[in-house]
Amino acid sequence: MAEKPKVAICWLGGCGGCDEAVVDINEVILRVVDAVDLILWPVALDFKYHHIEAMKDGEIALSVINGHVRNSDHKEIAELLRRKSQLVLAFGACACFGGTPGLANLTTKEDIFNWVYRDAPTVVNPKGNHPQPKVSVDGKELTLPEFYEHVYALNQVIDVDYYLPGCPPPPDLVVNAITAVLEAKLPPKGSTLAPHKALCDTCPRNKTKPAKIAISDIKRIHEVEADPNSCFLVQGILCLGPATRAGCGEACIDINIPCRGCFGPVEGVADAGAKFASALASIIDVEDEEEVKKSIDTIDDVIGYFYRFSLPSSILGKKDLKKTI
Amino acid sequence: MGHYEPKIVCFSCKFGWGYLGDDAALSRQIKNWIPIICSGKIDSTHILDAFKRGADGVLVLGCPEGNCHYQDGNFEARKRVYLLQKMLEPYGIEKERLRIVLSTDPGGTQIPQLIKEMSDRIEKLGPLKKIKGKAALVV
Ligand code: SF4
Ligand code: SF4
Ligand code: SF4
Repeated sequence: MAEKPKVAICWLGGCGGCDEAVVDINEVILRVVDAVDLILWPVALDFKYHHIEAMKDGEIALSVINGHVRNSDHKEIAELLRRKSQLVLAFGACACFGGTPGLANLTTKEDIFNWVYRDAPTVVNPKGNHPQPKVSVDGKELTLPEFYEHVYALNQVIDVDYYLPGCPPPPDLVVNAITAVLEAKLPPKGSTLAPHKALCDTCPRNKTKPAKIAISDIKRIHEVEADPNSCFLVQGILCLGPATRAGCGEACIDINIPCRGCFGPVEGVADAGAKFASALASIIDVEDEEEVKKSIDTIDDVIGYFYRFSLPSSILGKKDLKKTI
Repeated sequence: MGHYEPKIVCFSCKFGWGYLGDDAALSRQIKNWIPIICSGKIDSTHILDAFKRGADGVLVLGCPEGNCHYQDGNFEARKRVYLLQKMLEPYGIEKERLRIVLSTDPGGTQIPQLIKEMSDRIEKLGPLKKIKGKAALVV
C-alpha cells in the first residue's frame, strides 16, 4: 500500500475556534482521516513535537497552522513545521493577518504585563512577580517562552504557501482546500483559497443600496434595531463588506450583524482598513467641515473597528520577525 | 544629535496648484512633490504609505471648496484626511502631521511656503516618537 500523505494541524496563538472549524466539516473528516496520515494535532491527538523533529525535512505533505505568533514557542513550532513540510496553509484570520489578538499591537508589552500582573482589579501579587524567560530556582534554571513586543501574522515568521481566511474559516472552504490538496489541484503558491470579490458582491442586501449612499449619522449595531433586509451602510451602521473578501457565506449578515472583516482585504488590496476608510469617507454626506468632524467623531475606536482582524498586516502595523530576530 | 529636518510629502491637485508654474524649477525646489489629477484621487493607502516610508508629515493641496474639476474630489479628500488623522493618532502620529489645504495657486509659488510652514510646526513636534500607551509606528 502506498504511504498516505502526512498532515499536521497545529495551533500557535489560537483560540481553538480554528481547530473546531476542522471538526465542523463533519463526516468529511472521516474521508480525510482515511486519505491522510495525521501526525500532529495538539488539540485532539497526543503526538509529541520530538516526533516531528525526528522526521526528514519535507516529509510532511501539508501543515495547517492556525493562530498568531506572539512568543518564541510559537515561532519555534512554526519554523519546525515549515522545515518538515512541503506545504504550509495559514488557516484562519489570526494566521493570515494577525487576527483580533493583533489589536494588542496598539498596546506595549510593558503595559500588558503591568495590567495583567499588577493593575487589574483581580490581581493579588504582593511581590510584584512578572514572568521571566529564565529564572533560577534552587540552583536549577527554569525557562518560559519569550513574550514578544509584537503580534505577528504567520507569513511574517515563516514562508506560507496558501491562505484560508475567516474567524474561523467556514466548513465549505475548509473542505475545498483539503480536496484541492488531496487532488493536487492547487492554484499558484501564495493564493488565498477563497473568492476574490468583496463581500458586498455576494451579499443579498446589496440590491437594496441606492445609486449613491449618503449617511450623516453613524450608529452602532446595539444602538438601533437594524432592518434585517436593507444594507447596513445605508442605515448608517458600519459594515466592512465593501473592503472584505467574500467567502464566508454572509455568516454575520444573515444573523443581522454587520461584517467586521474577518476574511481580510479583497484580492490585490494590501490594507483593508485604508480601503474601508476611503469607502466610508465617500458616503459621509454632510455640508461642511464641522459636520464631517461631528459625524466621524461618533465612531468609537476607528482603528480597532477598521483593523479588527488585520492590524499586524496593515501598512502602518506590519513587521517582519524574519528580519528582526 | 544632528538637526531634525522633517521630511514632508506633498500631494497637490494639478488643476489648482502650479499649473502655470515652471514644473522643472518647482520640482527642484520642492522635495517629495507629487502632483496628481484631483486631490480626490489620493487614496488613503498613499498617505499611510508615505508615513510608513519615513515621512514626518503629509500635505495635501486641493482646489477651493465648490471648485473641483470633478464635482467634489476635494471635499472627498478632506473627509478622508480627517478619518486618516483618527487612524494615525493611535500610532502616536499627531494630527498636525497630516494637513489638507483647499485653495488655488496657479504659479505654485505658495507650495514651498506651505511646506515650510508645516515643516516648522513639525520640527517643534520632533521626529515620530513612541507615546506612552500607544503603538509605535512599525518601521
Ligand atoms: S482565526 Fe478566529 S477562530 Fe481562528 S484562532 Fe484566530 S480567533 Fe480563533
Ligand atoms: S455593506 Fe454590508 S450589508 Fe451592505 S451590501 Fe455590503 S456586505 Fe451587505
Ligand atoms: S460577515 Fe464579515 S466578519 Fe462575518 S464571517 Fe463574513 S467576513 Fe467574517
